[in-house]
Amino acid sequence: MSISALLDKYGSLYLQAMLTTWRLTVISFAGAMLIGLIVTVIRVCPIRPLRHLGDFYVQIFRNIPGAAMLILLVYALPYLKLNFPYETCVLIATVMIPSAFCSEHLMSGMNTISPGQIEAARALGFTFFQMILRIVIPQALRSAVLPLTNLLVATMLTTSLASQVPLRPRDLTGIVSYINTRDVGGVAAFAISAALYCFTGLALGRLGGWIDRKVRILR
Amino acid sequence: MTDNNVPVIDVRHADKHFGKLHVLRDISLSVNRGEVVVIIGPSGSGKSTLCRTINRLETIDSGEILIEGVPIPPEGKKLAAMRSRIGMVFQSFNLFAHMTILENVVAAPRSVLRRNKKEAREEALRLLERVGVADQKDKVPAQLSGGQQQRAAIARALAMRPKAMLFDEPTSALDPEMIGEVLTVMTELAADGMTMLIVTHEMNFARRVADRIVFMDEGAIVEENTPKEFFECPRSRRARDFLSSLRDR
Amino acid sequence: MKKPSIRDILYEPPGPKAQRRIRITTAAALLLIAGLVFLIIRQFAETGQLNARYWAFFGRGTTWRFLGEGLLSTVEAAVTGALISFAAGFVLMRGRLNRFPVIRFLSAAVIEFTRGVPTLLFIYFFFLAVPRMGWALSSFWKITLPCAVSACGVVAEALRSGVNAVPKGQREAALSLGFGEIRLFYKIIFPQAFRFVIPSLIAELVIVLKDTTFASVVSYADLMQNAKVLISNYDAMLSVYLVVAAIYILINCLLNKLSEYLARRMDRAAERGAA
Repeated sequence: MSISALLDKYGSLYLQAMLTTWRLTVISFAGAMLIGLIVTVIRVCPIRPLRHLGDFYVQIFRNIPGAAMLILLVYALPYLKLNFPYETCVLIATVMIPSAFCSEHLMSGMNTISPGQIEAARALGFTFFQMILRIVIPQALRSAVLPLTNLLVATMLTTSLASQVPLRPRDLTGIVSYINTRDVGGVAAFAISAALYCFTGLALGRLGGWIDRKVRILR
Repeated sequence: MTDNNVPVIDVRHADKHFGKLHVLRDISLSVNRGEVVVIIGPSGSGKSTLCRTINRLETIDSGEILIEGVPIPPEGKKLAAMRSRIGMVFQSFNLFAHMTILENVVAAPRSVLRRNKKEAREEALRLLERVGVADQKDKVPAQLSGGQQQRAAIARALAMRPKAMLFDEPTSALDPEMIGEVLTVMTELAADGMTMLIVTHEMNFARRVADRIVFMDEGAIVEENTPKEFFECPRSRRARDFLSSLRDR
Repeated sequence: MKKPSIRDILYEPPGPKAQRRIRITTAAALLLIAGLVFLIIRQFAETGQLNARYWAFFGRGTTWRFLGEGLLSTVEAAVTGALISFAAGFVLMRGRLNRFPVIRFLSAAVIEFTRGVPTLLFIYFFFLAVPRMGWALSSFWKITLPCAVSACGVVAEALRSGVNAVPKGQREAALSLGFGEIRLFYKIIFPQAFRFVIPSLIAELVIVLKDTTFASVVSYADLMQNAKVLISNYDAMLSVYLVVAAIYILINCLLNKLSEYLARRMDRAAERGAA
């Protein structure tokens, strides 16, 4: 089937699929940023057991394969009387896995701050929270723009996990296997989805690069 | 608190260990209002550590440190408030990398002292003018030379209108040709009557500017003397050895 | 000496009040963690998942042999996929640094494409589209090739940053000694660049290993698939999947630690070199 024939027949489905992928990406990334930030605060707090808990969280979720996590959520957790709808299962996986990477990026962002600046802030009379708000967070966020942009794109790719559960409307990966099992979509069916993924990823990358150039810290 | 008889900085029997290393041995030292005290001594003598204990960037194991007759609060807002009254200049400048030079000078007066924006800015510009880097105000620290950065760091400390200034080897990280410009600013400050405690290796500067020289070795104060006597006929043997080792170089 | 982490400098030596606060919060945190663990165990107990029949078969050698076989297939696919992606990534990197703009542009396009498309889509492509094009692939290649394709762009970029990290002086010195461009690259530049990128290549192996867990799509008998057989044999879904997830996490964790260790060692060597 040619691309134009495919678009005639499945155009609106592709549109829906793209919107689904975008929606999952936005929710996942927002959740991942929020949890990643909280986990990072926990990892640098002075309470040792909490630090270890935060480290443990990051080790688990940056190392678990997405498929394994999704299967645990969908098939295994019901045995613990924990039943979630399919979309929730997908979102738990696509939030928690990127959140671990988000925390890692924020940690290395913070590590770019020289210890001397922390001391200077203290010597000037900044309280702990003033120092965090005025010195640490701005620098950590600004040096994490590029890694976080890459994480946003990676999160979008991770949402393809949604194709592994019966989710409606389907996402950009799910739509391709659907068309290919119903119809002979062939290479063209893949090309459309791939192009939409690439287009979104490139646009996000451009945006991230632009923000990075605006806020980059000279060292 | 304007009692002129109470020393601005008063260290009493301070003791400190880094593990097994005894870095401060029963240090007692006071700096009076308007006085310029220069601490010299071989590296590893504990002079930097002493300087850093005065605004509790380092803690002491025992002893007491008083600022204008009041012991340093151990933590919290009171500690922050006390620190805001003492300026500190570091060896490695430590300007905030994400702010312009002007923002660096304005940040603490705004956040810590809650000064109004316009006034803080005007004072900052005046101070940058005074240390000679006003034309660099919109650049970020990485775009400045070491000497310019250090002068901006001095302006940043001055913007808090400190009662006293601590200088922790302010010229040790500078290329030789930039040391002079920083020392000039410090000399002017001393002439204006600022209370200063300076750790330095610049002997000519110490001799010229100091009211009193404190010589430290192996964590202890070995000798306190006037600059003239210290450099011409030091009382202690260790000070003599130290000075002659400098001349041999 | 280890570089001080932000964790160690963010807080100053605590005063008496702060010390008390830290002690109390630490106790509270320990209680909280204990409570969390208790809740999890209770949930397992109440739903009968602590029943010996769900766990006893992990004491048998056959269970582990079976899981081990699955793991071996997983590792086989992952290592093969990673090696292919290293080779393809190398070619793409050479293309990206080529003299001719056309080749540079094409290589960049391929790199961006493979980085911008999810592995699952490549897997479906090799599963659904490739056989229809008359190319019969075994299930091993149906999982290995898409994982390799998906990784090769990232590998190319990692190799390129490695090449860029080699000091310019190396190139100039070699040229002045009469090296040709080709020999210069293979004898001088690439061996140094390769050492820089070993940590990223190991990290990429972890990603490929994770991607192979989609093997069930193409019915390749990897660790996940063998787990399914165990599940139907013993009717023990939760315990088996938990153990399998733990195996994956453990392996990836070890590989990541190795990668971080090598990166740190290289940093130290670089610092010594600069000093």
